[in-house]
Amino acid sequence: MKYQLNIFTLALALFICNVALAQDDQNTQQGYSLTDQQSAAIDYLKPGKSRFLLRGYAHSGLEMTSEETSFVGGAFNPLFVFRQSDRLLFEGELEIELEGGETHLGLEYANMSYLLSDAVTVRAGKFLLPFGTYVPNLHPAWINKFPTNPLGAGHDGILPSADIGIELRGASYLGNIKTNYSIYAVNGPQLNDGSVEAEEGGVLHYDIAPDNNKGKSFGGRIGFFPMNNSALEVGISGLYGKVGNKEGDYEDIAAFLYAFDMSYVQRLSSLRSVVDIKAQYAAANVDEAAFPEEDDPSELHSFDNSSSTWFAQLSIRPAFVSSKLVQNLELATRYSSIETPEGAPWEANQQQWEVGLNYWFDWRTLVKVSYRTVSGEAGGHSENEEGGSEDSFFIHWAIGF
Amino acid sequence: MITGLFLLALVAIATNACTTTNSLADTKSGAQLWGENCLRCHNSPSPETFSDAEWDVAVMHMQVRANLTTTEATKIADFLKTAN
Ligand code: HEC
Repeated sequence: MKYQLNIFTLALALFICNVALAQDDQNTQQGYSLTDQQSAAIDYLKPGKSRFLLRGYAHSGLEMTSEETSFVGGAFNPLFVFRQSDRLLFEGELEIELEGGETHLGLEYANMSYLLSDAVTVRAGKFLLPFGTYVPNLHPAWINKFPTNPLGAGHDGILPSADIGIELRGASYLGNIKTNYSIYAVNGPQLNDGSVEAEEGGVLHYDIAPDNNKGKSFGGRIGFFPMNNSALEVGISGLYGKVGNKEGDYEDIAAFLYAFDMSYVQRLSSLRSVVDIKAQYAAANVDEAAFPEEDDPSELHSFDNSSSTWFAQLSIRPAFVSSKLVQNLELATRYSSIETPEGAPWEANQQQWEVGLNYWFDWRTLVKVSYRTVSGEAGGHSENEEGGSEDSFFIHWAIGF
Repeated sequence: MITGLFLLALVAIATNACTTTNSLADTKSGAQLWGENCLRCHNSPSPETFSDAEWDVAVMHMQVRANLTTTEATKIADFLKTAN
């Protein structure tokens, strides 16, 4: 009741404020002025420069494999965006997920951006690394066309996700070619030396603070739009840094990661559809070093510590046909693959195909019905260790709000 | 090799970022920039999605996330605020 009353008072005040503002000139001309109370109400409601949005996304679904059928997911990511002034922006996102019967709370990112000039923004804090395109741009459940990640991405993948540091980013024009760029310094990946978990010796871990050494990792991405209408973007990213623990045997071990990505989104009037193609290739090369053997940790073994992963996806949505039902349908398919070092305990060589039919309720709410088949041999810490192929069927929903 | 190429390109862009003139963006309207940019990563939101105050925040957020210049972002926000 009290709540309703408050809303009513606010609406009334807003109404008075609108009318009063519109008639302000007239009022003084006609010889009567606002009461003190009315002026106070107007002053109180004057919009400031600081604004914010509380948004985010959620998803869950049904997953069927040959072994089990389960409702999964139950993830909720609240997003807070504060525009403190025309130049200062804060973005922060939490990740609340059900994992093995427990609720897991994570900080996806929290950073501040300051718009230095038309083409340069400085960003500091924890941010999604502009490495390739999947993690920074495509992973939110309402943007990802499939219920799962392509191989290599996601929390157990070989791709970096978020990190803490500082970044300069922006866009500019080289003649008629639009370009965008990002350069950053972050804590960087950390090398698992296998002393605690021999089966993970040589793996790079991301998103860990504080850093394990003094050196920072440096990286960046450059994107080009070769077509005037920005339909095509191609990008190249790199990240370099020392990854070993300070003052240990692995102190001088460094890693260089690079990625190529592309995006092509075009309205095709001949097909009355929007066609969307995304692809990314990424590789991680870590200096060679010896790690404890899995069976006998007193023995050391070494391997060429190079991993790579790629994906390509195509989706088509007949957005310009007359049927409302068909307009909201989208067909999507994605291939992805991952290769981790031969001879490492976490050696993997896997391929994954996904095909899906999506139904969009609005621009960011959808139901995804998809089929996935994974084949090849997975690494030591993954579910499909023995190899062979595994098929799954999913019905998921995702909502962005 | 790739590192060298990468660094070279980075320096080129960094120099460019400080001296650029937005020739192409200058010729495009807010509606056109909205049509070309806002569907690159996700479905494009229609102008009615938000109020003026909300667009101010959402477009600034996308300016940072999608690397738009301030000129482009301002044009897009102005368009969305007149068309909502
Ligand atoms: C480079 C990719 C990219 C482009 C281009 C892009 N967006 Fe986004 N957009 C995202 C991502 C990623 C999110 C999700 C943010 C999150 O949850 O971390 C998002 C979220 C949003 C949201 C939800 C609220 C918010 O602020 O997160 C709105 C609204 C939005 N975008 C509008 C736009 C508009 C308008 C444009 C055109 C100017 C645009 N987007 C262009 C990637 C993009």
